[in-house]
Amino acid sequence: MRKLPIWIAAALLAGCSSAPKPEAPKADARPAAPVYFKVDSATAGTVTGKISFTGRKPAKKKIDVSEDPQCAKMHAGGLYDEAVVVNPNGTLSNVFVYIKQGLEGKTFEPPTEPVTIDQSGCWFRPRVIGIQTGQPLNVTNSDPVTHNIHPLAEINRAWNQSQEPGSEPLKRRFKEREVMIRVKCNIHSWMRAWIGAVEHPYFAVTGADGTFELKNVPPGDYMIEVWHEQYGKQEQKVTVKPSGREELAFTFKGE
Amino acid sequence: MFASSRIFAVCAGALLAFSCGTQKETPKVVETVVRPVGTPVEIGTPLGLPPVPIPENNKPTAETIALGKKLYYDTLLSADGTVSCASCHSPEHGFTDGMATSVGFAGQHGKRSAPTVLNAAYNPVQFWDGRAATLEDQAAGPIANPVEMNLSHSACVDKLSGNADYRKLFDAAFGPGPVTIQKVQMAIASFERTVISGNSPFDRYQYGGDRKAMSAAAIRGLALFKDTGKGNCVKCHTIDEKYALFTDGKFHNLGVGVNSEGELTDLGRYDVTHAEADKGAFRTPTLRNIALTAPYMHDGSAKTLRRVVDFYVGGGSSNPQLDKEIKELHLSGPEREDLVAFLEALTGEMPANAGPGK
Ligand code: HEC
Ligand code: HEC
Repeated sequence: MRKLPIWIAAALLAGCSSAPKPEAPKADARPAAPVYFKVDSATAGTVTGKISFTGRKPAKKKIDVSEDPQCAKMHAGGLYDEAVVVNPNGTLSNVFVYIKQGLEGKTFEPPTEPVTIDQSGCWFRPRVIGIQTGQPLNVTNSDPVTHNIHPLAEINRAWNQSQEPGSEPLKRRFKEREVMIRVKCNIHSWMRAWIGAVEHPYFAVTGADGTFELKNVPPGDYMIEVWHEQYGKQEQKVTVKPSGREELAFTFKGE
Repeated sequence: MFASSRIFAVCAGALLAFSCGTQKETPKVVETVVRPVGTPVEIGTPLGLPPVPIPENNKPTAETIALGKKLYYDTLLSADGTVSCASCHSPEHGFTDGMATSVGFAGQHGKRSAPTVLNAAYNPVQFWDGRAATLEDQAAGPIANPVEMNLSHSACVDKLSGNADYRKLFDAAFGPGPVTIQKVQMAIASFERTVISGNSPFDRYQYGGDRKAMSAAAIRGLALFKDTGKGNCVKCHTIDEKYALFTDGKFHNLGVGVNSEGELTDLGRYDVTHAEADKGAFRTPTLRNIALTAPYMHDGSAKTLRRVVDFYVGGGSSNPQLDKEIKELHLSGPEREDLVAFLEALTGEMPANAGPGK
């Protein structure tokens, strides 16, 4: 028998849908909405910590921006590599910190508030970001040049997109945990960023004081992992007592 | 064959494609075979271009060309008398309009950028998605398109028939008889076949043996353009041994028009073929006179040639139908500039007598 042309089939289907349906109410037909875990703030605790740096700081490395004279113009004094940023207090910036284990079986609602990564001065700002799976990622281009952001995801789907100056922000999401996703710009080879995508809200990136704080953590036993683009990963166990405040210390060593 | 019944079938098709049924016209069957009369014209070919393809049934004559030119520049062809073909394909902008997407009837924007009419005679099919087979077929579209000239074909014919000057010109071009939309199409197409531009610095360098016709930067740019390991541009923007059209006449998806969420906004060739692989594919445009026709791409999204080059360096935008020839390029800053210099060397001589007036 010949197959029905698709449009006829579609017309038939459309016709059918107007017939009364004796089945169960519609809501049941949809996949069950996820049951999100509610943290009890009365017992939740906090994990804080500091990422110290010892050893020799890498020498300042000047970046070759000759690929794009317009980028060069924005950095009259030259552009320097920011892979390692040691703070004046001897701590490290741009360390991604997150709960690696201990939250299994709990599902957390993704925030609707986006995380923004800006292409500005032919540079990604910020260089390291954390995002919850399902949370929107906003990619903006504040530069007068075209950029082409390319997250080289291995677990999530990799993609790249050309973005002309003044075009609207890109809105993307990551589905799966991936620590970390290397991000490059296909047009400006020196541009680098890193995205840590995790399925819960317990992540942070260290800033100018090298500290981090994970708040509203349900009491329990956890593995905390910290990651730095140059110095790799470390992990430590921690037990969060009801309403407890646990403090961790990590140290990365320069070569 | 240019059988009259086929003309009408295609015309009606073009009408539908444009107006989505808002047009209340009932096509009448054209019974007589229309042929141009008058003084035959041999269209010359400038350096770098092959002979202009001429359909058997519409050999250009001085009279059809003159009529076509008048029609091309006449705002009479629009419902409110404000828009002509030249509004969107103006000689002042390399026969485009200098806009990302064109503004037509009552200030409305279409969704695509106006391509140049220069050398359109060489296109194997017309429009970004190739939905018109010939220049004749194409010319019927914009007149009736509600966002372009918004004049139904019967109203167009009525307007022209009511004009004594035009009646004379039509008689001179096609012999005595009524004005028909088919004659309008044939005359405009014949005029367009004279809107040819070659003899650019590139042509003089490549085909004229003038080693000094292009700058050193443009010569390096040409090498990058041809190098499959560098620019790889010739893969689609072809350069042949005796001439260069800078287009393979085929359809490719570069990821132009991928929206902020990563989806294709204009399905391009797919709308014509309904083949999955054609989603987001557009006909390779010529690159002749490209320096005159900014902004670029089917949606006018790239403002400068440098940004087009950057777009290619970046490997376009990912999507499931991205052409396999589109991938990140490894070009230094000076190499990117050289490619731009080469593209700028493709500006040819403007055709004589293609502008408005006598
Ligand atoms: C309101 C602006 C507008 C007007 C008026 C207009 N065009 Fe166009 N023209 C366009 C746009 C936009 C396209 C591309 C549309 C597409 O590909 O879907 C186009 C495409 C074309 C093409 C195809 C070129 C190619 O490379 O595929 C030709 C030829 C052309 N127009 C000729 C004409 C003629 C002749 C007239 C007058 C009868 C005319 N146009 C009126 C905007 C306009
Ligand atoms: C896979 C085929 C392909 C390759 C390879 C390719 N192009 Fe294109 N080019 C196209 C197509 C198709 C378009 C129109 C795309 C669209 O608008 O969606 C285009 C558009 C352009 C435009 C804009 C034209 C206009 O009128 O808006 C320029 C300029 C251009 N290409 C230059 C280049 C250069 C330079 C290279 C090499 C670095 C190159 N192309 C490589 C197919 C190709």
